[in-house]
Amino acid sequence: MSTKERSRFSDFRAGIAPAMSDFRFTLRKIRKSPLSIVGIIIVAIYVGMAIFAPWIAPPAVGTRDPSMIWNDGYALPPKPPGSPVIINEGARNAGYTSHIFGTTQMQYDIFYGCIWGVRTAFRIGVLVIAIALIIGILLGSVSGFYGGVIDELMMRFTDIVLAFPGLILAMALVIALPIVWKIDVGYLLVVLLLFVGPLIIGHFLKIRGLWTFLIGVAGVVAFVALQTFLLGTTIWTWSLELGQLDKVLIALTLVGWPGYTRVIRGEILRIKGEDYIEASKAVGCSDLRVITKHIVPNSIYPVVIMASLDIGSMVLTAAALSFLGIGSPEGYADWGQMISLARNWMVLQYWYVFIIPGIFIFVFVLGWNLLGDAFRDILDPTLRRK
Amino acid sequence: MGLADFVVRRILLMIPTLIGVTILIFAVTQLFTPEQRATLYVTNEKQMNNIPLLIEQYHLNESIFVQYSNYVQQLLQGNLGFSQTSRAPVLQTILRKIPATFEVVMMSIPIIIFLGIFLGVVSAVHRDRPIDHVTRTAAIIGTSLPSFWLGIILIAVFFSGLGWFLPERASSWAQNYIDLSHNWTTYTGLYTVDGLLNGKPDITLDVLRHMVMPTIVLVTIQIALIIRVMRSSMLEALGKGYITAAKAKGLTNTEVINKHARRNALIPTITVAGLLTAGMLTGVVITETVFNIDGLGRWAVRAAGGGGIVPDIPAVLGFALLSGIIYVVSNLIVDILYAVVDPRIRLG
Repeated sequence: MSTKERSRFSDFRAGIAPAMSDFRFTLRKIRKSPLSIVGIIIVAIYVGMAIFAPWIAPPAVGTRDPSMIWNDGYALPPKPPGSPVIINEGARNAGYTSHIFGTTQMQYDIFYGCIWGVRTAFRIGVLVIAIALIIGILLGSVSGFYGGVIDELMMRFTDIVLAFPGLILAMALVIALPIVWKIDVGYLLVVLLLFVGPLIIGHFLKIRGLWTFLIGVAGVVAFVALQTFLLGTTIWTWSLELGQLDKVLIALTLVGWPGYTRVIRGEILRIKGEDYIEASKAVGCSDLRVITKHIVPNSIYPVVIMASLDIGSMVLTAAALSFLGIGSPEGYADWGQMISLARNWMVLQYWYVFIIPGIFIFVFVLGWNLLGDAFRDILDPTLRRK
Repeated sequence: MGLADFVVRRILLMIPTLIGVTILIFAVTQLFTPEQRATLYVTNEKQMNNIPLLIEQYHLNESIFVQYSNYVQQLLQGNLGFSQTSRAPVLQTILRKIPATFEVVMMSIPIIIFLGIFLGVVSAVHRDRPIDHVTRTAAIIGTSLPSFWLGIILIAVFFSGLGWFLPERASSWAQNYIDLSHNWTTYTGLYTVDGLLNGKPDITLDVLRHMVMPTIVLVTIQIALIIRVMRSSMLEALGKGYITAAKAKGLTNTEVINKHARRNALIPTITVAGLLTAGMLTGVVITETVFNIDGLGRWAVRAAGGGGIVPDIPAVLGFALLSGIIYVVSNLIVDILYAVVDPRIRLG
């Protein structure tokens, strides 16, 4: 290692030192709290189930979509755990001799549904949170960094979305989203170019970010007005066919982003006044550089963790939608939907129909909440390092 | 700034949000076809056969600005469209179904608030002792329980198994009496209150018996929020200088907690009461569906297709609009309460 490289390495070490000490502090806190360890173990077990689902519960031979639960005939009343598999040859060939957890209404296998439901839960939780977080980071950093009118408008908009209870707005959006969605990709690309173009050009010409932003907004408004009132043509249309579950994902994302926008904005407002931001501006860094190199990396850590811990509550909301009959279609490996099939069998004799899928949801959400509770203490700046 | 100024300013600030709420609902309507949208302007059942006329009349094929101004005009006249699920105009349905929902909510909220504050204080005072761990664990379990699952378990155990409590809003004999008897006068629409006013305490008792399970579900799901906030603000208050001062003066522990710590700790708890409203609105949607109570929530779910009927757009959007308005207004009330309790807010 040359001297130059070594000095770069130690620069790097020095640069991440605060983050590392944060990390060590976090680890120490986690070790001291037994509940958060239980949370980690629970989440790890679910991750394992999601990864190994095809081995734990192999799909019936000849199934096209493994997310659909295989059923053994179409008889209405559920059968208790241990009942033999009689009709479904594909399932028998996959190695099922009996229904381990029994069957629910219409003879869907509960064991298969619960195991593959883990994948559905992660898909919903991770996708929705990730997209909502990306939107939140983009809008929140612009809002927090520029302040003024932009910030005011953005915050009033989040106010409006947050003025609705999430589940209810999601319900309205799910029925409103069309099954075939025609998206004018050309239109979106032009809007994106008009908005991002000035920012990038301004970045190289060293024009103040606020101006390039306003030019971008003006361009987008002009284009949208032109399209709406004069031309009204489509540019380049894609047709997307949305399944019921896709609709739920889109609805939950649309409902979920404002919270993150606000948190990120708050973090950025806190950091904006720090000396190193002033310093980087003073040495002539462009807005884009200040945001991407200094502000976002320093503000993102707590928000990303808090958001990822929302996976549990997001899955709970999605399960509620499915239970209400607005989520995934019948027979889909989804816990909420399986409990909704139990609504005609709310008797202790048929306990396995609702107790088993319910335990899968409950423990999943509990694991994330236990983790979340520990991290709330860890990330609370007022409780820090005392 | 006096309290009156604060209230006026806060009410004025609410108006843009309310306008925003209507814009958002209007934006959702733009995802529908003009034919579907037209149902939002229907006032009686006959018009359902005359959709093309309505599209013409309300300019539903024209620019969004024309459409929005028409939409707001309709809203201001109290026309939210016609619900196919209830076979009645949306506003009329809402007014008819509100009492059933209100009754259960009013039963749960005092329990949530008083029990939540009590448990939060106990938890904070005995920090890191067994009782604190038990309360906190119970609170986490409460938030993690799917409300619909808890509801089904309660039905299986207490209705199907033991027969103690019943689903639905009232037993059929009571419901028949209310619906058919000439001796029954509807004063408030709340069966519990009307039962007493009509001199039929047996109906009140019957309705109360039906309210036990939904109340248990709502309380279990929502109470954790209050416990958590109360506990942490109580811990903060207990660490303040005035507590040490009060102890130094020789006050007993109970006096310090009741007169000094708890009062100050209550202030932050008020702010989450707004969140409680949102939780309640969501909660009734689920409890009414599980327990088959004929209120706003079950109607909205059926309208959204949860009962197999075609999506009843005016009903779902009407319910969403109503929840938005309730939430905004309850946040206004919370802010005003906050200012009344804590002078620093209105003076700062």
